[in-house]
Amino acid sequence: MLSREEWLPLARKLDWDYSYVREDEVFPEVISGKPWLPHSEWKDWEESFKTSYREYVDNQYEKDMAVQAVHDAVGRIENVQKLALPWLNSLKVHAAALSLAEFTGVIGNLRGARFGRDSAWRTMATFGALDEYRHTQIPLLLFHPLVRLDSQFDWAHKFYHTNNWFAVAARHFFDELTVGQNAIEFHIATNVVLETGFTNLQFVGLASLARESSDHMFERMVTSIQTDEARHAQIGHPVLATVMKHDPKYAQYLVDKWFWRNWRLFSILTGLSIDYLTALDQRPYSFKEFMEEWIIDQFLRTLDEFGLEKPWYWDLLIDELDIYHHMIYASAYSYRATLWFNFVIPGPAERKWLRQKYPKYWDDMDAVWEQISERWRTVGPGPANEFAVHGTAMPTFCDLCQLPLSAGTPRKNTARVLVHEGRKYIFCSEPCQWIFLHEPERYASHKDIVKRVLSGEAPSELLKLLTEYFNLTPDTWGKDVHHGDYEWLGVRKDSAA
Amino acid sequence: MPIPLYGFLQGDTVGLLILAEEAETLQALARKLQAAASLRVEGRDHVQVVYNDKTMDPAMTVTQAGFEALDRFDVVPEQQ
Repeated sequence: MLSREEWLPLARKLDWDYSYVREDEVFPEVISGKPWLPHSEWKDWEESFKTSYREYVDNQYEKDMAVQAVHDAVGRIENVQKLALPWLNSLKVHAAALSLAEFTGVIGNLRGARFGRDSAWRTMATFGALDEYRHTQIPLLLFHPLVRLDSQFDWAHKFYHTNNWFAVAARHFFDELTVGQNAIEFHIATNVVLETGFTNLQFVGLASLARESSDHMFERMVTSIQTDEARHAQIGHPVLATVMKHDPKYAQYLVDKWFWRNWRLFSILTGLSIDYLTALDQRPYSFKEFMEEWIIDQFLRTLDEFGLEKPWYWDLLIDELDIYHHMIYASAYSYRATLWFNFVIPGPAERKWLRQKYPKYWDDMDAVWEQISERWRTVGPGPANEFAVHGTAMPTFCDLCQLPLSAGTPRKNTARVLVHEGRKYIFCSEPCQWIFLHEPERYASHKDIVKRVLSGEAPSELLKLLTEYFNLTPDTWGKDVHHGDYEWLGVRKDSAA
Repeated sequence: MPIPLYGFLQGDTVGLLILAEEAETLQALARKLQAAASLRVEGRDHVQVVYNDKTMDPAMTVTQAGFEALDRFDVVPEQQ
């Protein structure tokens, strides 16, 4: 009988020479990825975990039991009802945006499990697929039953099956990242950029916010998921090292492209949670402070480790740390009925904190919040007045990231129009246009929400757009958490009546 | 036939889709964008339209100014 030390290396490194088919037919470039290299260039692919299937299952069982125990202790509806309302809405954002996105990660990993260029890589990607399936099921199991508490939690399942504008943007991102991607680009973009570069936003940042918000269920969930991420993220590093050796320009392009695409999505998912949807006394840091300490510094170290340069747009990205998610939040608040969660206006104490954390552009943002507050003062609080404090004109979207044209600053929006092969496109920023122009065949035929409305694919009338195209209902569309009934506005409902 | 345009009002956080009439003056177009963004940006009496980096004559019509579908225009405070 072979010992573990004898059979595991044999099982993990089980590659052979093909006699009746060419290697490039077994691993076609279109699906394995480029640069296409013979296996001799991949045979030293290695990772440090070297897990057997039995060890994997034993380990995952223990972790699942630990999550279940915390769920049994503090995950009941009555526990969730005690959470602060803004934080509860942060949970709705993540329940919808993460659960089925993780499922697309199963598909990407399975592509690596078949088309990865070394058997040890394929073995690890198989575990990666199982991990991502776990990361789909856990949040669905924990969040979707909360539909009994609040019908907006239905979007844990529903979100990716709708044409809601944020779902369109998230699908555009994850479909390219995972579902329709070759094995090399998938593992560099997902493991190196997302799971190494941005994972701390979700698994350190959100875990600590959850702890501060007394949401121990969510804290345990993300911490448990992080232990899987730490393992399968290892797949991408030796892939990037090999691509860097043979085609450093392409390696740099992939890292630059995916860091930007990840930044766009995660600055919204996490930026709004940290700076707006967590109670002020429970915020351990600002989104910018967290980015600087846990993402920017670490990413620069990763670049250095691989001999990569900073992305060409680095100064722009650093500048966006001060403003982008604030522009998005104010825009989203004023179009909140187009989303499936509720919003809160930052009051005087929150705005003082935001000014202190974001002095560079806060004057301009403060003017926007003052104007929105003034509208509530004018119309008075109450559910019936929600649409009197809501945008009516159609907001516009980027033809690359599919997110609102909210980049730049209130003084100078950076949106740019491009005519490409006779068709007009608009991008929120220079990096989004740069990505489009690198691979226009990949993006050119995709229609953003505005072009769907103009072509008659989506209704132009707001109520029909919400109900018939975004799949929202009066119960589930987003509202102000307090319906404008804030003490600091000076028009509390009792006195207004 | 209305012309769909991307309108950006200085002070706002998002670009808006504005349907312009061919015979509409740029002054009226600017007011239309200000009204559409009034939830977030306080109205101003004196503004100007900027198109392709040029400040436009407010009396011009949308057609005279050469606006085409899905072009960008900006509305900014009038310079003193």
